[in-house]
Amino acid sequence: MSSPLLAIILLSPLVGALIISALPPQNLLGIRRIAVSSSALCLVCALGVILSYDTVKAGYQQQIYLPWIPSLGIGFHLGVDGISSVLVLLHGLCAFSGVLISYAITQQVKEYFIFYLTLIAGVFGVFLSIDVFFFYFFYEMAVIPMYPLIGIWGSDVKEEGVVRFSKEYATMKLTIYLTLGAVIALIGLLWLYVSSGSHTFDLIQMQQHLDNHPLAVSVQRSIFLLLLIGFGFIAPMWPFHSWSPIGHAAAPSAVSMLHAGVLMKLGSYAIIRLAIGLLPEGAKFWLPWVAGLCVMNILYGGLVAMAQKDLKLVIGYSSSSHMGYVLLGTACLTSLALDGAVLLMFAHGLMTALAFAMIGHIYDQTHTRYLPDLGGLAHQVPFIATCGVIAAMASSGLPGFANFVAETLVFVGAWDSHPVAVACGVVGLVITAVYMLRLVRGTFFGPALRSFASVRDASSPFSRLSYALLIGVLLFIGCWPRPILKIIDVSAQSIVARALRQHQPEPEPETIPVEWVKVPNP
Amino acid sequence: MTWKLIGVEFVVSVWTIVTLGADILNLPRRNRLWLLALAGLSLAAIVLALQPPESLGESFQDMFVVDGFGRYFKGLFLVIAAVVIVMTREFEDRLSAPLGAFYMLLFTALLGMLIVASVNDLLLLFVGLELITFSLYIMTAYLKTDPRSVEAGMKYLIIGSIASGFLIYGVALLYGFSGSTHFPSLHKAIVSGVIPLSAQAGFFFVLAGLGFKIAAVPFHLWVPDVYEGAPTPVVAFLSVGSKMAGIIALVRILYGVFLPLHGLWMDTLAILSAATMLYGNLAAIVQTNIKRLLGYSSIGHAGYLLMALSSGSSLGVSAVGYYLLAYLVSNLTVFLVIVAASKTIGGDHLEAYNGLSKRSPALAGALFLGLLSLAGVPPLAGFSGKLLILLAGAQAGQLWLVTIGALNVALSLYYYLMIVKRMYLGTPINPSVIRVHPVTHTTLILLVLGIFVLGIFQNPFLQQIQSAIENQQWTRPQFPNAEPP
Repeated sequence: MSSPLLAIILLSPLVGALIISALPPQNLLGIRRIAVSSSALCLVCALGVILSYDTVKAGYQQQIYLPWIPSLGIGFHLGVDGISSVLVLLHGLCAFSGVLISYAITQQVKEYFIFYLTLIAGVFGVFLSIDVFFFYFFYEMAVIPMYPLIGIWGSDVKEEGVVRFSKEYATMKLTIYLTLGAVIALIGLLWLYVSSGSHTFDLIQMQQHLDNHPLAVSVQRSIFLLLLIGFGFIAPMWPFHSWSPIGHAAAPSAVSMLHAGVLMKLGSYAIIRLAIGLLPEGAKFWLPWVAGLCVMNILYGGLVAMAQKDLKLVIGYSSSSHMGYVLLGTACLTSLALDGAVLLMFAHGLMTALAFAMIGHIYDQTHTRYLPDLGGLAHQVPFIATCGVIAAMASSGLPGFANFVAETLVFVGAWDSHPVAVACGVVGLVITAVYMLRLVRGTFFGPALRSFASVRDASSPFSRLSYALLIGVLLFIGCWPRPILKIIDVSAQSIVARALRQHQPEPEPETIPVEWVKVPNP
Repeated sequence: MTWKLIGVEFVVSVWTIVTLGADILNLPRRNRLWLLALAGLSLAAIVLALQPPESLGESFQDMFVVDGFGRYFKGLFLVIAAVVIVMTREFEDRLSAPLGAFYMLLFTALLGMLIVASVNDLLLLFVGLELITFSLYIMTAYLKTDPRSVEAGMKYLIIGSIASGFLIYGVALLYGFSGSTHFPSLHKAIVSGVIPLSAQAGFFFVLAGLGFKIAAVPFHLWVPDVYEGAPTPVVAFLSVGSKMAGIIALVRILYGVFLPLHGLWMDTLAILSAATMLYGNLAAIVQTNIKRLLGYSSIGHAGYLLMALSSGSSLGVSAVGYYLLAYLVSNLTVFLVIVAASKTIGGDHLEAYNGLSKRSPALAGALFLGLLSLAGVPPLAGFSGKLLILLAGAQAGQLWLVTIGALNVALSLYYYLMIVKRMYLGTPINPSVIRVHPVTHTTLILLVLGIFVLGIFQNPFLQQIQSAIENQQWTRPQFPNAEPP
């Protein structure tokens, strides 16, 4: 069953970018319409992909294959499994609402959308590719547009009127860090290609080959380490995270949305897909270390977020803190925790996108993000304030939001193997509540300030639609997580089973999860 | 029979006289000379395309061989020369000395390159390389009133002569060992017996002589000054054409003759490659002149090419062929933008590029893509080239070298992005708009198109290269890391 959905998802933003590059720069309406329609088409197709995912058959679906460089075993191979289809939906949502939020961009609109659509296509490419060559190809392709996007349309991070770091610095640091991570991962991938002797970059064939001819344990461990560090840069795993908060803070809001919402998930996705998926021995050896590092992520990121006075920096550090939960879920090698990790990627992506959209609106209106300067904005912007409170609640994991379900799954799944990490994670949630409530109080509550009398709420139906979309999905999944968990679980189970296969022939007695999140095995 | 084989070279040598005559007779006018030069190249290209495959063979007592490998690179040399002529057209009002003579030198250098693509003998190799460098010595110093240009020419001449000395001394030693300068006889002598120390020394002397041509560490000292001082079209010709000729000579010698001694040179090349990459890319970071920066970056690229050569596999040779093609389109794009912009923005200092995107979005866009392609970013040409080279290195088991090569991607991206930063984030000193001539514009569009095509559709070109080296007698039997069926 081959349907063109995946090809449409990948090509639509690229074609959009091509059409925009042919339009005259004055034609703002046309440029925006093309951007909106191409990202809307992606969203619709992403919905189609996830709705048509067959949980009984499992595995990679909707595959498209074109031979590309046969002599090296490279093929243009697209396909989605449960995990990537969920992430494709996440990216579709963030990209669509990001394009809507980008209506606020007024200078060099044409170039902006060309880079933005290229970025969108690159990220889709990573989630859709099941050929390692193209995986890397799109991964790098997603990193580079960030440089001009932040450099040209971003903003310096100021404190009391003094520039704390400039956007030029932030974007260069981000690009170099991410490229460094990418090339480290590339070394690992090339080593894997050569030492496996499979002469193919195709993920499915490589996996089969490695199942039949497993690599030596030491080689697996070395390659796993390279992939872990390389993709850990973008995840961002502590101590490779330092590019991320300042990158988010300097970026224009639509780019921060994609960046914190989706791009960081590329790292954890690549670790799940390539590192754990292909190198079970490496996974068994290194994942406990990851569990240790992600405690640093959670606590360090959270504590630093508490001290920040720039709204975007608060969310930036909170993102690296929350990615710690994702990594914790990844590090346990139980399907329950992995379900949680993937669902958390989804939920956190939407929540962060919401938060950055809200901050972007405040910054556009008040021209400041400095917490001590803000206050009482709920009087002027009731709609945005509502969104802000909702984002804060979702972020601190209140029941009813998808984040709650995901974090609970991670904690329950990780309890057996890493109880200390789980305890730290729970403490991290309290920290999250502290800084998110502090942010909301400082920005929205208190007496109305006269200097903000002219501030306007998000009133256009377009921008309201993007907020509503993000909140709606967060609530929907939070209240009824079962369908999406079912899709994730099919793939998570096969990954965990593959990783645990060799040295543990007797099946581990599975912890019985709480009844209402129990996912029936088809 | 012989005439069919050297048709391309014949046309090019005739054109050296045609351009010189045109200059003396002042026919056509000075600003139409480039058309005459392009006409000669088109004629050569037609002859090359019409060379029937059955005419492949050897001539001049086997000194000159026409094979798929050579023809592939001859095609590339013609492309390079064509773009350099377009650059010269843009640059001609800054060249005070006779323009016809400049084109004549361009054609003699091109002739040298075409000969190097077909060498089968050490002496002919020497002749070809000297033809290239002698023409380039003069071309480098062509801005007679600019002391930097004259200094560059002088420096290039002195260091280049030392290199030629190394080369010819090595040739003499190898002749003493085998009694012949002919590649196949040399190969036979190497396979059949013990290799004395003198012959090994001769081999390394030849390697050193070629190291100068491709600007590999530690033979790179001439590069920065020559790149900074020489007229920009000459720099482009030097950095792409001359380097390519050196690499072809290396491939022919290392793979055609010395492959049985693979163990002797593999590690040497690998160490040189690591040093070259690191030195070129680290030194480029601190440069303030764009041509000087590109000089160091070209040293870095020589390092990648050496990595592929050191692999000793057919994948390595294919990677070299692909990388050179990708390097050609990207580097020529960059230099064409520099030539087109330098007149208006006034000089080659990096500050002059501040805010280029506001003065000419087309030039800035092309430079952006060219630089990122040089850095090796998908979906651009340089990415495919670098990936193939890293793959060849990994397949040869040199993971340490692959690691250095991969880290250099991030390193080089930094200084290329510094230029991008100036173009897009800087404020222009003088906001006047830069006009681009339609000829330059069209050439730029074609080159940028090439950057994208090479970055996305690798297979057709890779197959072309693979089939070109497949017919070589030197590929399959001796290859230690032969590819699986």
